[in-house]
Parts: sequence; C-alpha cells; structure tokens
Amino acid sequence: MTVTTPPVEAAAVAAAPAPRKPGARTRRRRTTALWAIAFLLPSAVPLVAFTLTPMVGSLWVSLHDWNLISPMEWVGLGNYADLLADPETRQVFWHTVAFIAGYLPLVYVGGLALALVLNQAFRGRTFFRAAYFLPVVTSWVVVALVWQWLLNPSNGLVNQVLGALGLPQPGWWTDPTWALPSVILASAWKDLGFVMVILLAGLQAIPGDILEAARVDGANAWQRFRSVTLPLLSPSTFFVVVISLINGFQVFDQVYVMTGGGPGGSSQVVVGQIYDLTFRYGRAGEASALSWLLFVVVLAITGIQLRVQKRWVTHA
Amino acid sequence: MHRRTTPHRSRLTAVAVLGLALTTMLGACTQGSASNDDPPADPGSDSTEAEQVTIRYTNFTAEGGHEADLDAIVAAFEEENPTISVEVQVLPYADYFTALQTAFAGGTAADVVDLNYDNFVTYAANGVLAPITDVPEGVYAQSLLDAFSYEGQQLGLPQQFSNVVLFYNKGLFDAAGLEYPTADWTWDDVREAATALTDREAGVWGDYQPISFHEFYKALAQSGGSFFNADGTEATFAGPEGIEAATWLVEKSGTVMPTEADGAGTPDYDVNLFAEGKLAMWHTGIWNFTRMGETEGLEWDVVVEPGNTQKASALFPDGVAVTASSEHPEEAQLFAEYLTSSDTAVETRLAATWSLPPVADQSKLDAYLEVTPPENREAVVESLDAVVLAPVIERAQEMQDIVTEELGHAAAGRKTVEQALTDAQERVTALLG
Amino acid sequence: MRKARRVLLYVGVALGAAAMLFPFLWTVVTSITPHGTLAGGPTLWVEDPTLDAYRQLLDAMPMWRIVANSFGIAIASTLLQMVTGATAAYAFGRLQFRGRGVVFGLYLATLMIPLQVLVVPLFIEMTRLDLHDTYFALLAPSITSAFGIFLLKQAVEGVPRELDEAATIDGAGHLRIFWRIVLPLVRPALATLAVFAFMNTWNSFLWPLVVIRSPELMTLPLGLATLQGQFTTEWDVVMAGSVVSIVPIAIVYVLAQRHIIAGMAHTGLK
Repeated sequence: MTVTTPPVEAAAVAAAPAPRKPGARTRRRRTTALWAIAFLLPSAVPLVAFTLTPMVGSLWVSLHDWNLISPMEWVGLGNYADLLADPETRQVFWHTVAFIAGYLPLVYVGGLALALVLNQAFRGRTFFRAAYFLPVVTSWVVVALVWQWLLNPSNGLVNQVLGALGLPQPGWWTDPTWALPSVILASAWKDLGFVMVILLAGLQAIPGDILEAARVDGANAWQRFRSVTLPLLSPSTFFVVVISLINGFQVFDQVYVMTGGGPGGSSQVVVGQIYDLTFRYGRAGEASALSWLLFVVVLAITGIQLRVQKRWVTHA
Repeated sequence: MHRRTTPHRSRLTAVAVLGLALTTMLGACTQGSASNDDPPADPGSDSTEAEQVTIRYTNFTAEGGHEADLDAIVAAFEEENPTISVEVQVLPYADYFTALQTAFAGGTAADVVDLNYDNFVTYAANGVLAPITDVPEGVYAQSLLDAFSYEGQQLGLPQQFSNVVLFYNKGLFDAAGLEYPTADWTWDDVREAATALTDREAGVWGDYQPISFHEFYKALAQSGGSFFNADGTEATFAGPEGIEAATWLVEKSGTVMPTEADGAGTPDYDVNLFAEGKLAMWHTGIWNFTRMGETEGLEWDVVVEPGNTQKASALFPDGVAVTASSEHPEEAQLFAEYLTSSDTAVETRLAATWSLPPVADQSKLDAYLEVTPPENREAVVESLDAVVLAPVIERAQEMQDIVTEELGHAAAGRKTVEQALTDAQERVTALLG
Repeated sequence: MRKARRVLLYVGVALGAAAMLFPFLWTVVTSITPHGTLAGGPTLWVEDPTLDAYRQLLDAMPMWRIVANSFGIAIASTLLQMVTGATAAYAFGRLQFRGRGVVFGLYLATLMIPLQVLVVPLFIEMTRLDLHDTYFALLAPSITSAFGIFLLKQAVEGVPRELDEAATIDGAGHLRIFWRIVLPLVRPALATLAVFAFMNTWNSFLWPLVVIRSPELMTLPLGLATLQGQFTTEWDVVMAGSVVSIVPIAIVYVLAQRHIIAGMAHTGLK
C-alpha cells in the first residue's frame, strides 16, 4: 500500500526543519477519506436506500412464514433449519454449481476466441461484432425455442449429426440427465457476445507497442498470447469470472423458459426454487431464507476470488 | 499516451448535463402520476352521498385482445353510476398472480380483482376477500356460483367460463370411412378410432390429450374415482380408477399422439397440428373455436368429451371478488355484479366472442350457439350437465406441479404408472397437513 | 499461406455470425408471416409477408407512450449508472482509505441477492414512502449498479498512476484528475457499461410488473407480456413486439461500439 508522495511535497519535507510528519499524514488521510466519501456518495445513497434496505427486509422475512397475502408469522430460524435438512436444497445447489461448471469455461473460452478474432482489423468487423452480440439482447423465449429445435431428440440438427457420426443421441431437454446440459449449451451460446464485449474492451487497453516489442523479440503468436495478452487481460478476465459466478449462481430465466426446472426437478436451480416458493407456492419466508443461504455461498466464493486476485491479476 | 481532448470532452459534459436534466424531469414527473392515486378516503363515504368514488380493478380475463371490450363495459357502468369511476389495470395472466400477491403484501391490492377458480380458495382461506351480500336469485348459474363460495360464504362472483370438448377432423374420419364421434362415445370408442386414424408415416395422429394435472383429475372423474376422500384429509387418486385414468393418458404418448421429444408440449404445437389437418381428435378448450374457425379448408366439429364409466367435462370458471381491504365495498360489489351479469356485459362478451357469461338464463347464450363453425356448439352447453371442477386446496399450485411431474415420469417410462401415482398421492397428502 | 488462414477465419466468423443472427431472423420472419406461429421449427421463408402483426401491435396498446416510457427510463438509468459508477470506481480505484476493501465488498454484496427476493420488500418500502406507481419508483433500483462500478474499477486501475502524479504536480486536485485524466481513459469501459445498463433497464420486467399500476407508466416488456393470453397467443404479434424491443438495444450497441474502439492509437494483434 504505497502512496506516492509528489516530488514537491517530498522536497518540502526534506528542506523544512523536522516538520510534524504524523500530523501531515493524518491530515492527508483525512482529506482522502473526505474525498472518498464525496466520490462514493452518489452511488452509496441509492444502494443503501434501494438495495441494502430491501436486503435487510428480506432477511427479516426469512425469519417468518409468509404467503404474502396474510400477515407474517414468526418462525425464527425454522426456515433455515428446514432448508438445511431438506435434500431438495442440496439438489438445487448442486444443479446450480453444475451449471456454472459447464457454463463458465465454455463462455469464457468462446468469448475470448471471438474477442481475439474480432479485435483484428478486417472488413465488416463492426457488423460481426453486432451479430455476435445480438443473442445477448434476444429474449429467452426465442432462444429457448431455437435450442429446443436444435436439440430435438428425434429430428434436431445436433442429434442428426451425432447419429451420422455413430455417437449416442441423448434426449436433451426431455431427459433428466441431459436437461441441465441443454440449458448450459444454450446459455453459453447466448452470452458469448457479452463476454466478447467485455474482453474486447480489455484487449483495446493493451498497448500495441508491447506486443510489437514481443514480436520483434521473436515470440510467436502463442507465446505473445500467453505471456503478454493473457496477463494484461487479467483484469477483464477477473471481472468476467467474478460476474459470471455471481450471475451464474442466480441463473433463472433460461431454466424457467427451457425446462421449467424439469423433467422431474432435474434442472431446477436455486433461484428457480426461490421464485416458485415465493410466487407459486406462497412460501416467501423460506424463499428468503434460501436466498440468504445462496448469499453466503456467493459471498464466500467472491471473497476468495478477491483475495486470490493479487496472485494472478496484473495491471499495466 | 495519445488522448482525445476538447471535442469529446464537451460531448461528455453535454451528456452529463442532459442526464441531470432528464433525471430532474423524471423526478418532477413523479407527481404527475400521483394524480392517479385514490382520493383521500372520506370518513364514512357511502354511495348514497353524491361524492366521486374511485375504485380500482385488476383484470386478466381481458388481456390478449379484449381490453377495448372491457373498456366498453366499464364505460357503460360509469354512465349508469355517475358517482363511481373505475380504474382498470389489465395484466398478463402468466404474471397476474405475481403482481397480485405483491400488491397484497404491500397493502395496495385493488378493490375488485379477477381470480380464477384454481386460486380462489387460497385467497378465500386467507380471509382477504369480502363477502358478497344479497346475491340476486336466479341470475347466475348455480354451479358457477357455488364454485366461488367458501365455507358457506359467497366470496366471489363468476365472470366467465370455458370448458373442454372433443374436437374432431371430419375430413380424416371421412377418408377412413369411420363414423363421427357422438355424445355417447366412451374411451374405448376413442381408442379404436384413434388407432385406426394414426398414420405415423404421413405424420397424422389419432388423438391428442395433454398429460397433465388438469387432464388427470378429469379422467379420474370420468372413471368414477375421486381425488380426495370425503373430508379432504387424504388424497385418494392412486386407486384403481386413478390407475386406469393415468394409463389412458400415458399410453397415448408415442402411439396415437406425439411424444414430448417430438415436440408435444411446446407452445401451440397441438393447435398447429390440428389446424394443418394432421390430428384426428383433440381434447382442448373452446377458446380454440375462433382460431380453427379462421383456418381455411379445415372441416371440423366438436362433441361432448367421451367419458369412461361416466361423463365428466372440465370446467374452468373465472371469477371476480371484492377485497376485504377495499374502502368502498358497496361500490365495488356493484361493479362486480355489473361486470358479470348485466345485459351490457353479457352482450359485449358474446358479441366479441370473448367469453361465456355465467348466467343462469341459457337463452342468453343463443347468440353464441348460432355461430358456426363448429356446428355442434350445443356441446358446450351439454357439457355443463356433467361437470368436474379442479380439486383445490390452499397449496393448489404445488399439488398441480406434483401431479404433472409424476405423470411426466410415467409418460417417459421412468416410473410405472402405479409407482408414479402412489408417489404423487403421498406427496399431495403431505400438503394437506 | 497467411491469406488462406485469413480466408478460413473469415468464413468461420461469418458462419458463426449467421448462427447468431438466426434466432433474430426467425423472430422477424415470424412477425411478418400471416398468423405466424413458432411451432413447426424455425423457417426463414415467408410466403405472403404482411405487416399485420405490427398493425395489431399498434392497436393493442399505446405503443408510442410505452416505448417512450421504456426509453426514458432506460436512458436515465444508463446516465445515472455511468455517473454514479464512475465516481465510485474512482474512489475504489484511486483513493486509499480505511475500510476500502470492506466497502467494496459491501457494494459487491448487493449483487448477490436475487431480484426475485428483493422485489417484495422493495415494493413495500415504496408503498410506505408513497412512491409506488411513479417513474421514480421504476427508476430507483437502477440508479446505480455494483456491476458497473466493478467494471469501471477494473478500468480505472488500469490507468497508469504516472498520469495522476504528473497532474498533481501541475496542481490538479482529485476532481480535475477524475474529470480530465481518468474518465477519458476509461471510455471503453464506460461505453460497455452504457450498453449493459441500457439493456438491463430496457428489458426489466419483474420490477415494473409489480410497481406499476397506472397504464400511463407501462413499459415495453410489460406491454408485450399482455399479448400472451390465458389460453391463446398470437405469436406473430408477440414476435413483432420482440423485434420492436430488440432494435433500440442493437442501435445503442452499435453507437457504443465506436467509443469502445476509440481512444487508442494503436490496436491490433497482428
């Protein structure tokens, strides 16, 4: 934690006869703290008012039984106890983790490849960038239908190709084992553009002269990529990983639209369960408790990442 | 480091200023929409005083094309009752209950709300509906009125109803030289015809019936079974009648009906199959009359749904209720009655082929019955002779999900029918506690 | 051989783009097909194209008002998120203060509770404040976003500190450094944030569903949802609505692209 002392002040400190250094530093720290408050205020006020407050509210709800239409009933930690004892809780968490494990590598590698390719100058680049981004903004209703058509077990494109290659043709979204992978494939495909946009911005920030220098030094494309591009891209990578994890744990829309959590609950995820509990089954208290269990998990994982980032994230 | 300077910075400034301006404007706008808030509650306001009363109404029955018709009914009501004005909010059905529950939670529920039969019990049981007083005799069909009473109290009024009939493709029957289905048909007749009419190579299927909770309880009733025991403390649908009913549904998949893998269950799959003339028989609701009527070249008709040991047709009533939190219950009830039984309402609904009004006087339905296709619209009224309503409990949605899920396992061959039903029965009984 | 590889790459990219465009094209095709449906698999062929669905869309609801509402809210939230995001990012990325890590963690924590759970308590809060059914309430949850702050923080940290120091020597304070040095250099990230902020607010559904009562405030996703009936749905109209919904975001994206690319004299990894 270094605070670079501007040369002027350093010179003044050196020249003046033994000034009260601690005082100056404390004053500086206080000024910085005031600046920090000033800069943080525009975002802190809405966050506290409109996000943190309802969060606390939901914590309060989690200690009650509530069907939304009648007043709440106090149950203390009863909801948490019930959830932790219920095998279904473990199941939905497991499904969510499985989703992330499949989704994240796919979407990152794919998005990175796209970003690298579309970072090069060639004709129609803007058009292609827009084309790859389009699925991100297309509604899940349409994307789900396209993928259901692609993955149709009897005559979908994918199974036809698999059949031609002599490979087994899974039942995809009609099969409990393959329902979640179907959602993973569709999600990764849809979000490629999202990752691409983030990584493109990150690639833009890599000064071309560093890469030129590496090339001149005799590094080939792969070496340049591994030793220069990837490390300098690490802040963006870090961002993608953290956000994808946070979002991945809260995946909902695509599961709801593609499989509804089925068949037989085999693709139900945590937020899907939360939504059902709140709005379809009238068990809002349990839903809130479940979301706080989720919170703890996500907080822990994010915390670990923030700690570990110092080891692999480099800044220019 | 090369960086752009002035031109782009001033653009940023402009953008920031614009943003602030916009925000201020929007902030100012918040008061603009506050004009829609209810006027402050007058202490002891009745409709007998000549003050303006505003009531709010949330609706889902008009969505998807009938908002204008609803507006017409509301306008007529407001004309006849100049001191009452009605604010309407039409919501999509799929999200209606999310919004409604949240409104209850926040204390902003409307004065008059739409409720369908499946959800009515939940709200009634929680005491958030106001009793309807002095229901006029002989105006509403009794069975529909009963559907919206709870523990002896009338807590809602029926608004419209739909039921399920058997659609059949006359062309396919003719081509195979088979007799059309009649009101006396039973499951065996359907099975026979469906098998004969299925031609997988040509992509023609014999009989389509969704494998779901709603079809199951109906098939159960058609086999003489009952979903719950007499005092409603146990689910009893896994008995022999239930097995027969479930088997009837499940065996169709892949034999006379496409499987889920073929696409059955995706939106409008069955609608298109029938419209393209590739489906001989179809168990579905009367809401498809208009769409099929508009399909050129399709020769079709309907008939009362065949039973097994007895007839039972599914009925889906939608109703309207006054909320207990309403500050103007009398005006609200006045509106609810007008909306559901006034001549204006009945005529508008029929003229717009919107929905069937819940009136006891069936002569009022003549206008509906005279429209063709289908020729045999009388089947709609005939079906009302033997009706089965969905079993409802407070945790209705969970129950529906459980039954549909277990039937899905059976249909896909992951469980035997007996096992699936037994599991479902156990899980549903657990909900009753 | 370089050329051959380039051609191959180009073809691959083009094919991929075609696959990406496909769902959108299907949406458009369905919207101009008379009685278009989504069953029977995607097609790109339409026999008698018609704009009926769009006409029905205009009839079904006050489209201009609805689009204006959505647009206004989306633009406002985008600008607000950029302003609040940039200032917070500067604080986290440049200012050393005690508890910085904890505060940032708190900011991130706001992303970790799903909206589905926050909706009800937030709605109750709005009703207590008598703010429900107002534009402000619609805007409130999207005024600031920890997602954007995180994105910008990464970008701010990528700006070399030597620039700050040079400016400080010239007598610049934090405001000057923020406005003249840091902000212009994080333009790609700002533009990226703008795209996502616009998109998320434009598409947001659950919160408007719950907080709006008056038809005057209706937003586009809400309006489009009413096209799907209790039993039947006119899919061609729904798809027309989807097209109307997607086009503005695509435009915002293309406009933002320029800012994401610009700012650097040197690009390319050739």
